[in-house]
Amino acid sequence: MYKPAGFDFSNELRNNFLVEKGLPLPKATSTGTTIVGCLFKDGIVLGADTRATEGPIVADKNCEKIHYITESIRCCGAGTAADTEFTTALISSNMEMHALQTGRKPRVATAMTMLKQMLFRYQGHVGAALVLGGVDSTGPHLFTIHPHGSTDKLPYVTMGSGSLAAMAVFESGWVPNMERDQALILVKAAIAAGIFNDLGSGSNIDACIITASSTEMLRNVEMPNQRVQKERNYKFRRGTTAWKKEDIRSLIVDEQVTQVGGDEMDTS
Amino acid sequence: MFLTRSEYDRGVNTFSPEGRLFQVEYAIEAIKLGSTTVGIRTPEGVVLAVEKRVQSPLLESNSIEKIMEIDTHLGCAMSGLTADARTMIDHARVTAQNHAFTYDERIKVESVTQAVCDLALRFGESVHDEEAMMSRPFGVALLIAGIDELGPQLYHTDPSGTFVRYDAKAIGSGSEAAQSELQDKWHRQMTLREAQLLTLNVLKQVMEEKLDQHNVQLAQVTPKGFEILDEASLKEVIEAM
Amino acid sequence: MPAMVSAAQPVQRSFNPYTENGGTILAIAGADFSVIAGDTRQSEGYSIQTRYAPKVFRLTDKAVLAVNGFAADGNMFVKKVRQRLEWYRHAHAKDMPIRAIARLIQTMLYARRFFPFYVYNILGGIEEDGTGAVYSFDLLIYFKNQTPAPGTAFPKHLPLSTVLPLVIDSFTSATERHIEVGDGLEIYIVLSKGSTALQSLQTIRGIQELTATNDGERVFVIRRELKKD
Repeated sequence: MYKPAGFDFSNELRNNFLVEKGLPLPKATSTGTTIVGCLFKDGIVLGADTRATEGPIVADKNCEKIHYITESIRCCGAGTAADTEFTTALISSNMEMHALQTGRKPRVATAMTMLKQMLFRYQGHVGAALVLGGVDSTGPHLFTIHPHGSTDKLPYVTMGSGSLAAMAVFESGWVPNMERDQALILVKAAIAAGIFNDLGSGSNIDACIITASSTEMLRNVEMPNQRVQKERNYKFRRGTTAWKKEDIRSLIVDEQVTQVGGDEMDTS
Repeated sequence: MFLTRSEYDRGVNTFSPEGRLFQVEYAIEAIKLGSTTVGIRTPEGVVLAVEKRVQSPLLESNSIEKIMEIDTHLGCAMSGLTADARTMIDHARVTAQNHAFTYDERIKVESVTQAVCDLALRFGESVHDEEAMMSRPFGVALLIAGIDELGPQLYHTDPSGTFVRYDAKAIGSGSEAAQSELQDKWHRQMTLREAQLLTLNVLKQVMEEKLDQHNVQLAQVTPKGFEILDEASLKEVIEAM
Repeated sequence: MPAMVSAAQPVQRSFNPYTENGGTILAIAGADFSVIAGDTRQSEGYSIQTRYAPKVFRLTDKAVLAVNGFAADGNMFVKKVRQRLEWYRHAHAKDMPIRAIARLIQTMLYARRFFPFYVYNILGGIEEDGTGAVYSFDLLIYFKNQTPAPGTAFPKHLPLSTVLPLVIDSFTSATERHIEVGDGLEIYIVLSKGSTALQSLQTIRGIQELTATNDGERVFVIRRELKKD
């Protein structure tokens, strides 16, 4: 049977029919998010909040949105959580393969091209909105990649539902050739603007500073939304659940192992 | 005197130079032609009694209705043009029902009295070109009896739309004599039974005919509610007089 | 040529006068008190319109109303209820009892059967017999507070010293997991005449009394911060 590459749209018609009949499609977890990237003198600073939502409900209060592509390339994801995670993981694998194949440190533009080609192929059905940043042999680079495959190359970028709040901070505070610390403060302020003014964003700030010499992943660099102490204790009292019988079993399986043959690895 | 008055006594909404509304005053006069009606308030409840003028032996006396229920906790006795009272009591009933519907509670005695008096003042009122809905003042006075959170109360209303609360009140043709009798006999700790007997005694003194269970009507409002005494219980009270 | 085709097609227009402004309200009745609370965030979509928009309102010393849903309708509804309360005071020379307010709100809501106020109401306060009461409403009618099912003990009345921490914890928890809840918390407490719960209010930080009459019932408010993300 011939199976074309890419998504299978054969159920599209059936699904539309079901939606019309009143059966809603299952909803994917969307990271209504604030993600940013900022160019500075020696490299790139990426930033992200840590809230993941399902509609109005917070699904994860401390998720990671800065994904690993290569040692000196990282990618922030907004949109459908599963799509951003799988897309970046796939491109990360392919970038590693590419590095092995070419024997060179891979470039940011390569990751960008692979991502945009994949997203374009899926015509926007892969709901990944990305901020890609890193440093390679040609210097620091910062991109945004939209779900349909278009890209921008800019000195400061924002994405996600908090992008307007964050961009407002960049527009008023960004200057060329910032120092590392100055850039980190600006990125943290941009993410904080998203966290406090956009309901889709919240909890903590993650940041990642990439320079030619090093990559620093600053997980939870700020935690401005710690959970407050509860007034009462809601633990169930010991003995709340009555039981009629007690039976304790060991889950450890005793196994007799007999050594047959040598220990050394087969290298033939 | 009569001649000067004639210029101003036709319009219901024209004051005389002395500041009087003659039609309203005539309406109040009309009540003095009505049958005597008495009301007494006691700590146990309110008693209402009316004289029924049975003008002919062929008249079915129980078809004369001068005491009516407004709500379970409200009753009303009338004197004057009793036909006018129907409009007023209809209005009172609607007001009481509307209050119960909207607020899920019994309307106060004063509130229902106020509502009736608001209606009494609407004579001669018209919307620009249209005819007025009521062309003249009501020719009837009411004694409104009821119980609410402030206890048993008795209100008197007249065609001018004025209302006053009384401990005991008489209206109608024999009202002057009846009122002074009430003033003599009423006291603060009166029982309901004493009030029943007093109302009938007062009526007896002012009635031309001999009082019996056919030519008077007796009603009361107690915490149990409004009730018109049936012939048997009325007869029992009359015999106890 | 193509213009002639589309002209005859019927076009359906729609009118959407409602929005949803988020937030949470709750009320708990005790034996001789009632607690009514709400957060103060007002939002539309992912945007915060204001961090302080009260959703809980003192109507009388015996009744407090909380409104949630479409904020414009909610504010207008409270305004109309207050107007009716004022009219009632003038007509009947007393404050409207809570049961009458509940019934009034029901009649006001049902009057808009085919163009409802997009508001969910909770009314809390003290009945005329001095017991704590909670009434909740859907868009059209009311339901009296929950009572134990026949033959069961729960739900039972809790003391105020248990209820207040419970209310605060409910809101901190909702703030953690619901994006539309947060910023501020207002807790109204209505005490019945001579309620012993008064003692447990003495030690509470920042409590403020709002009582207006000398009828005996007392109204207090506690304001707290909630997380702002």
